Amino acid sequence: MAAYIARRLLWTILLLLVISAVTFLIFYVLPSGDPATARAGRDPSPALVASIRHQLGLDRSLPAQYWDYTRKLFFHFDFGHSFTNNTSVKSLIFDRLPNTVFLVVGAAIIWFLAGVGIGIVSAVKRGSFWDRALMGGALVLISAPVYWMGLVCLYLFSNDIGRFKIFPGSGAYQDAHGFFSKCWTLVMPWLVLAAAFAAIYARLLRSNLLETMNEDYIRTARAKGLPERRVILRHGVRSAITPVITVLGLDIGILMGGAILTETVFNIDGIGRLSFDAIQRGDLATIQGTTMVLAAAVAIMSLVVDILYAFLDPRVRY
Amino acid sequence: MTRSHLRFLLAGVLGMLAFVVAACGGSSSSSSSSSGSSASSSAAATKKAAEAPAKKGGKITMLASSDVDYVDPGHTYYTFGEMITLATNRPLYSFKPTDANKPVPDLADGEAQVSADKKTVTVKIKSGIKYAPPVNREVTSKDVKYAIERFFSSNVGGQYPGYFQVIEGAPKKPTTGVKPISGITTPDDHTIVFKLTEPTAVSFIAALVMPITVPVPEEYAKPFDAKAQSTYNTHVAFTGPYMIPNDSSGNLTGYKPGKSITMVRNPNWDPKTDYRPAYADSYFIRTNASDANVAARQVIDGSNMLLDTNPPSNILKDLVTKVKDQYTSVPSGGYRYFPLNTEVKPFDNINVRKAVMAGFDRNAARLARGGKYIGDIATHWLPPDFPGFQESGGYKGFPDIDYFNANNESGDMALSAKYFKAAGYASGKYEGNNELLMVGANADPGKAQAEVAKNQLEKMGFKVRLRLVPQDSVYTDWCQVPSKKVAMCGGAGWFKDFADPQSMLEPVFKGSLINRSSGNINYSMLNDPKVDDAMNKAALLEGEPRLKAWAAIDKMIIQDAAGIPFIWDKTTLVRSKNINGVPNPYIALWDLSFTSVK
Repeated sequence: MAAYIARRLLWTILLLLVISAVTFLIFYVLPSGDPATARAGRDPSPALVASIRHQLGLDRSLPAQYWDYTRKLFFHFDFGHSFTNNTSVKSLIFDRLPNTVFLVVGAAIIWFLAGVGIGIVSAVKRGSFWDRALMGGALVLISAPVYWMGLVCLYLFSNDIGRFKIFPGSGAYQDAHGFFSKCWTLVMPWLVLAAAFAAIYARLLRSNLLETMNEDYIRTARAKGLPERRVILRHGVRSAITPVITVLGLDIGILMGGAILTETVFNIDGIGRLSFDAIQRGDLATIQGTTMVLAAAVAIMSLVVDILYAFLDPRVRY
Repeated sequence: MTRSHLRFLLAGVLGMLAFVVAACGGSSSSSSSSSGSSASSSAAATKKAAEAPAKKGGKITMLASSDVDYVDPGHTYYTFGEMITLATNRPLYSFKPTDANKPVPDLADGEAQVSADKKTVTVKIKSGIKYAPPVNREVTSKDVKYAIERFFSSNVGGQYPGYFQVIEGAPKKPTTGVKPISGITTPDDHTIVFKLTEPTAVSFIAALVMPITVPVPEEYAKPFDAKAQSTYNTHVAFTGPYMIPNDSSGNLTGYKPGKSITMVRNPNWDPKTDYRPAYADSYFIRTNASDANVAARQVIDGSNMLLDTNPPSNILKDLVTKVKDQYTSVPSGGYRYFPLNTEVKPFDNINVRKAVMAGFDRNAARLARGGKYIGDIATHWLPPDFPGFQESGGYKGFPDIDYFNANNESGDMALSAKYFKAAGYASGKYEGNNELLMVGANADPGKAQAEVAKNQLEKMGFKVRLRLVPQDSVYTDWCQVPSKKVAMCGGAGWFKDFADPQSMLEPVFKGSLINRSSGNINYSMLNDPKVDDAMNKAALLEGEPRLKAWAAIDKMIIQDAAGIPFIWDKTTLVRSKNINGVPNPYIALWDLSFTSVK
């Protein structure tokens, strides 16, 4: 097991190196906005642009730039400074990452528990009214765009512009202090972000569980006289849930790179908003930083999922 | 000044999901009379708000769709940055909300003195103005000298050197590190003297309202300015009624880039030295606020709140028709236009350009941006409420120019045909094979506006290839690069740097300023020696002759058919019910030093 984890860790580091090279190539080699011009502002003289290019090291050879970039990135987690406001990208990321983590982890707990619960009920009550109602509802939630649902929730339930003033509204998270206060401001964002995912997980688990419940070992378990509840949860769900765990890991990883729409509609300063704003401004240093955060999150979550998988199913420890 | 791209971009992008062009419901008419009255009524409303009795105290929150470009007064250039600068700092001269055309002494103690040859400008500085903590000392003329010198260094990257390169010894290109400028002297701590290379004291004095003249304490700022990219931006020493909270080393703890800016009272500010009343105790500006619709609703339904810029068009319509007492429309002091690149075929033919101007439906382009509430349809370049506007024919434009005036706001295809025929196209439409490259923003409202322009050109027989790219890239990678041969930029804008027509026309249309590598802002590539010559002469004039001269240049540019000015922007500023919001027409944003809680 230790060798397996070490091997996967090495692959993850290699993957991040490759991603860093790709992002470097995309931003520095392919035609894109000139960072020096972006920093120089409006109507810059060529001399000013040249001078800034020199300051940013953009007039050095490509290998020298890449070495500098990689060295700073891997040894100091340094992405340089924002091209638009000269703030350290590292500080921008560290400032916003906790907000995204808080949003995503909270939502993930909700969607995982709700999705698994609904999936089990639907599978167990297959063909019943409950099954049809739950799966129909899931389909509606999957089809509803997150942004639209966020706006609807705000206009219905927020305590500033809502019809029924129940939950804190857009921007409240930034004004909240303390764990429980922050949690309260995130209730709506969590529910909105969790809704679509919960629906997907419910459908995924339902189909997996239905398939699993027809397996021979389930019949064996029942023949041994085990209680139905134990058969479903211990034998059925444990096997059916492994693909769900894989998807969960990747979803969390991807969302760590920013739940842009949810962060935007609820005005939460997370990585997604940072990335979005940076793209709009051609702030390459910040885009690189947020891209690497996303890549690292996905890679790390894949690693975690693989390790978890190995625990759940010893056959995958190749 | 180009109005902050970021501001419009983010407002547009965050609002785009709800941006419905049709929702603006603008009628196709915009009579001159109504336009005129709206401009004057906005000025009256601003004056009334500024002079209304107000109470001190309270905390005001602003939801801003964008962020400050730089807090450093030597580096900031966009209006949002100027809004912060005006509340936290004191340039030599500034504008009261009640008059956007006549600056008043701010740090300066009285009017600037001009020598007989108009080549020396002397400014006296008030006593008793102190920096906020941690500097805590009195401002001297040497601080203004240093502020201007640092502006020219690449470490700081001042963005409008052209206005100040007329000072003797001013660098023609950015210096590495801060270098002294021989043409600026400080005979004593309260006097600063500028020696100019040209007799252009009038326009030079007009430029002294810009943030470059905000004092910077050399001994404090030097370590920050010594860095390749100055970090003074996060350590600014303030002189205005408000300051951004900082720690003992001056680090701005109240400025969180991309998130928020907090402003509190400056304990060292002496109201006896300032015309600003500074009513509110503090401001909290949430930058890069979320969905524009939500933010606007929060301000309208809430209390103690301001919105920084135009709300989405659907809310704008509600405001104008239902709410009524929670907004002020302020002329932005600028124009939006479609440049016609005079070096790209077939726009190298003046009659083709005139045909395009004649047939172009400016009202459709305005609708694409949000309709009649967001501005008046332009009939020439100099905007309303701006020096030279009336001399340029006011809202009606130049009656003797048939292809561009108030009569063809929605395009006149018959007139267009006349000019196409003059250009040699017998059908009255373009018949050539040249494909026009147009570049526009890939987000509304820029996208919608570019698409309208494309349709207009296709209606006249042109083949158009429209490239939609990210907003900033429209300029930096395309329109500002002459070698890209962009026939028409799918939307450009130019906004005043200060209240002088020279700053509105010269940077955009002077042939000698064309930059053939990059960073060129003469998108029309207009290189008319007559225009350049007239500009050089007009730069030396004063008073009414100056206004008339620049109005004549306005007309010459229309006669050269260098572009299609289609809108004179207005900014609609929104406030909560319990806020007495006072706009400053100079920046077309709220004046935070005059705004108060009712």
